[in-house]
Amino acid sequence: MTRYFACRSRDLSPGESLVRNLDGVSVGVFNVAGRFFALQNRCPHRGGALCQGPVTGTTLPTGDFRYVYGREGEIVRCAWHGWEFEIATGRSLIDPSIRARTFPVEVDAGDVYVVI
Amino acid sequence: MIDCDVHNSWASSRALLPYLGPPFRDALIRGELPGGRDSFPHAHRPWLHPEGFMRADAVPTDGPPGSDYELLRRQLLDPYEVEYAILTGDEAIEVSTLANPHLASTLARAANDWTVAEWLPKDPRLRGSLVVAPQDPVGAAAEIRRLGGHPGIVQVLVSSGAQRPYGDPFYAPIWDAVAEVGLPFAVHLGGQGGVNVNPTGCGPPTFFWETHALLCETGMGHVASVIAQGVFERHPNAHLVLIECGIAWLPALLWRLDADYKALRKETPWLRRLPSEYAADHIRLTTQPLEQPPDERHLWAVLEAIGGERTLLFASDYPHWDFDDPNDLRIPREWHERVLAGNARELYGLPARSARGHEAGVA
Repeated sequence: MTRYFACRSRDLSPGESLVRNLDGVSVGVFNVAGRFFALQNRCPHRGGALCQGPVTGTTLPTGDFRYVYGREGEIVRCAWHGWEFEIATGRSLIDPSIRARTFPVEVDAGDVYVVI
Repeated sequence: MIDCDVHNSWASSRALLPYLGPPFRDALIRGELPGGRDSFPHAHRPWLHPEGFMRADAVPTDGPPGSDYELLRRQLLDPYEVEYAILTGDEAIEVSTLANPHLASTLARAANDWTVAEWLPKDPRLRGSLVVAPQDPVGAAAEIRRLGGHPGIVQVLVSSGAQRPYGDPFYAPIWDAVAEVGLPFAVHLGGQGGVNVNPTGCGPPTFFWETHALLCETGMGHVASVIAQGVFERHPNAHLVLIECGIAWLPALLWRLDADYKALRKETPWLRRLPSEYAADHIRLTTQPLEQPPDERHLWAVLEAIGGERTLLFASDYPHWDFDDPNDLRIPREWHERVLAGNARELYGLPARSARGHEAGVA
C-alpha cells in the first residue's frame, strides 16, 4: 500500500472531480460536499471511463409516481453507457452487488492522497 | 389441453340487435356499414388476405367459420380433448378502430352480452373474453366492472392496434378496473386500421404476408410501455397477455430494455426491478403462430431465455388459416404440460379437470 499525491484539496471544490494517473492506475478523485473519495476510472460494466462522466444527482425511489430529484453531487454517471454509481461506495444504483473499485483517500496538510 | 385463442363468430352482425338499444341499434339496421348488411361496424385494415383468413375446411354449411358451435365442437373441442377453450370472438375487437368511442363501447357491450348469452351456455369447456373499446377508457372500465365478474369471463380483451401503447396513463382507468376485478388484460393481434394509424413503425408495408409477419411490432410497443410506465408496480397482480403477436422477438426486446433501463433508470424511478423481471412475472404470450426456424433448437434456445416453460400459453387460433395443431407443437417435450394447460389454468384460475369433464356450465 502506497499513498500517492492527487491534488491540493483547495484545487478540488465540492461537486468537482479530476482524473489522475497514479502508479499506472487511472483514478478519479471526487469532492462530495467537502469529503474526498477515489474510484478507479474503469466501469465494472464495460470498462468505460467511469470517472470522466458527469457528477450528478438522480431521481429518488419514492414509492409513488412522482419525480423527486435528490443526492445532488453524490452520483457519477459513467462516460460510456451512463450507469450510475454512488461515489462514496462505488455501488451501482441498479444493482448494489456491482461495484466500481474504490481507494482510501487521506487528506494531510491540505494535500489529497490516494492509497493504492 | 387449454386452447387460449379460439375464434367464435356471429353469422351476421345483426345477431347483436337484441343486445343493442337506440340509437346504435338503428344505426346497425339503417346506417352505413363497411361491407354488406351483415357486416360489423369497423374500419378495415388496408391489407386484404388474398384467400380470406379462414381455414378452408372450417366453413359451416351456413355462416362463416367459427359461427357454428357444432362444427367447432367436432373439429376442435372433441378431437383435441380440449379442457377449456378461451373464446376471443372475431370482429368484436375491431371496435378499437372506430372514431366514435360511444359507438365502440356500445358495440363491445353488445358483443359481450351476446357471448355470455349465446356461447358460454353451449358447453362447459367454453370461457369468454370481455371485449372493451380502448379508445374509451372510462367506458371500458365501466364495462369491466359491469360484466368482468361473470364466472365465464376470464380476461379483458382489446386489439393490438391502438392509438397509443397500453402502458400510457390514458388507459389508467382500464388498468384500475382489471386489477379491481382480477382479470388479465389481453391484447390480440388486430385493429390495424381506422383511428389506429400506426400499425408499423416505418410506414405501411405492401403485401398481406409481409404485413402479417410485421404486426408483432405492436406487441413490442405494448410490452415496453406497460413495463416502463410502472403498470406492474401500480397493480402487482396485473397480467398482460399477448395473443397472436409472436414470441421469438421477446428475448431480444427484453435484453434491450434491460440495457437501456440500467443506463437511464432515472427516467422511471417508480420501477424497482429489471424489465425482464417484470415480464417473467406479469407477461404471458400465446404460442400461435409459433415461429418456425429451419432448426427448431434455435427457437427453443430463445424461448428458454424468457422462461418459456412458464410464460407461454398454447393457442390454436381455430378456425383461422394459420392454425397450430397442438399434437404437432414444436416446443421441448418437458414443457408440454405447462404450456398446453398448466400456465393457462394458473393465469385464468381454471380448475384442473379431465378433458370432456361434465361440470355444470358457467352461464
